[in-house]
Amino acid sequence: MPAAIETEGLSRRFGLRLAVDAVSMTVPERAVYGFLGRNGAGKTTTLKMVLGLIRPSAGVARVCGLDVARDRIGAARKIGALLEAHGFYGNLTGRENLALTATLLGLPAREIDRVLAVVEMTADAGRKMAGYSLGMRQRLGLARAMLGAPPVLVLDEPTNGLDPDGIADMRRFLKSLPERTGATVLLSSHLLGEIEQTATHVGVVNDGRLVLEGELSRLKADLAPQILLRTGDDAKAAQLLVGHDLSPVATEAGLAVPLRPGENADRTTAALNQALVQAGLPVFAIGPRDRSLEDIYRQVSAPQSQVEVV
Amino acid sequence: MLAVLSVELRKLNRSLAAVLALAAPTLIAVFAFFVLLRGSKPPPWEMLLQASTGIWAYFMLPMSVTALTALVAHMEHGPRAWDHLRALPVPRWRLYAAKAICVVGVVAIMTVLNLVFTLAAIHLAGAIKPAVAPVGEPDLTRFAVLNAKVLAAAVLVIAIQLWIALRFASFVPALAVGIGGTFFSVVATSAKEGVFFPWQMPVNMLAKEAWRVETALALGGGLGLLALAAAIAHLARREVL
Repeated sequence: MPAAIETEGLSRRFGLRLAVDAVSMTVPERAVYGFLGRNGAGKTTTLKMVLGLIRPSAGVARVCGLDVARDRIGAARKIGALLEAHGFYGNLTGRENLALTATLLGLPAREIDRVLAVVEMTADAGRKMAGYSLGMRQRLGLARAMLGAPPVLVLDEPTNGLDPDGIADMRRFLKSLPERTGATVLLSSHLLGEIEQTATHVGVVNDGRLVLEGELSRLKADLAPQILLRTGDDAKAAQLLVGHDLSPVATEAGLAVPLRPGENADRTTAALNQALVQAGLPVFAIGPRDRSLEDIYRQVSAPQSQVEVV
Repeated sequence: MLAVLSVELRKLNRSLAAVLALAAPTLIAVFAFFVLLRGSKPPPWEMLLQASTGIWAYFMLPMSVTALTALVAHMEHGPRAWDHLRALPVPRWRLYAAKAICVVGVVAIMTVLNLVFTLAAIHLAGAIKPAVAPVGEPDLTRFAVLNAKVLAAAVLVIAIQLWIALRFASFVPALAVGIGGTFFSVVATSAKEGVFFPWQMPVNMLAKEAWRVETALALGGGLGLLALAAAIAHLARREVL
């Protein structure tokens, strides 16, 4: 699949601090790519380099094959962006704000009506921006990013400030975008759940480095299966499991036991259950555990010292 | 470029720029009106219009430029609009050039308004108190040319104030420089060295010595245009973090 966005060894240094360190990422066309990382990990700096807002210290960013450093305007024509700072003018109405951008992009007025309808903001478009809630600003920001139907959308924390219903709507909307419009979405967030429920692909950035990238379903499938169990005495259960040459990990949901490659989950579950009961430990719950994006994230980004092994 | 200019004008139109554009010339006209009413003999047109142009050139113009450039810059700094604007497929120099053109345009309008409002104030005062009404006709062509020179000599100060206002997100540096420059322009209006001081270049258009007029016009206008071009180029190239 051709890449909508591609970076090669993209780096950015601010003084002595290396904010982005040789990031090579590939966002396939028509993907919803979740760009994940804690605050300050380098997500926004990477996005700003993709948008041509700041220059890389090293490396290349390409949008639809166009080198952003060599042809910023050509690359910018392919991108619509929703940035953390919306940059709306409070003394103008929502429609007037969109009209300013539409004029700069050389778009007709009907394009404003189209994007307002897409984000269901037509009724409020005549109100001054100063009276908009944060959620309405986010939706209007999304509408502005979609002006001219660019093939790539870059959205920095798009669910910020949305209420639960708004978040659910936004997720559905973003998920359906590639199918409805053929657009590719690069979505940055520090919220695992948001990315897991929206993205088809993920990239995890940690301390400025891209530590993991791939199709979300494949990454999950590649994870070693686990058995999750809750007992009357998890500490004692953990000692017993270690004695069976297993490595239990304490999680909020109970003890997670990674299986060895080729090990049958059902048979191991039954054997573990038998061993725990024979040891006189009450077993409240036991069974294979669905692997989540959080597992993947913790595996690649958490320092070893933070992974508690009982 | 027309699209960028139209966007800039729409933003300005909904700001308080119009209030500022009217306030400064109105204040000078009000001052001229009451000064004339206090008198008992009709002063010559020449003196009245010279005084009005002088006040505009050494005090109101630099203060207005300071306020206007801060307003134009804060329209983008306030809502943090630079990232959005600079990410658009528009050459960045055009964004800054449009702002520069708008500021020069508004200052030109204010300069014209200053002359028009002063004329109106003098006529009104003369109508209320005929004893102080100036006799004859004013030499409007001469004062139109003089005001055009004042505007041209102000380009350097506009370039400096606009660059500072756009470069720094806080309005404090621009105000500090503007107030400081105007202060020296007021307290040392007749200083010969003022011809080399950007804030005093406009008022030097009223000087009697030709060399002062020519030097201040060349520096304020010629160097001013170069400074404006350099400011636009620098702002377009720099990163806004």
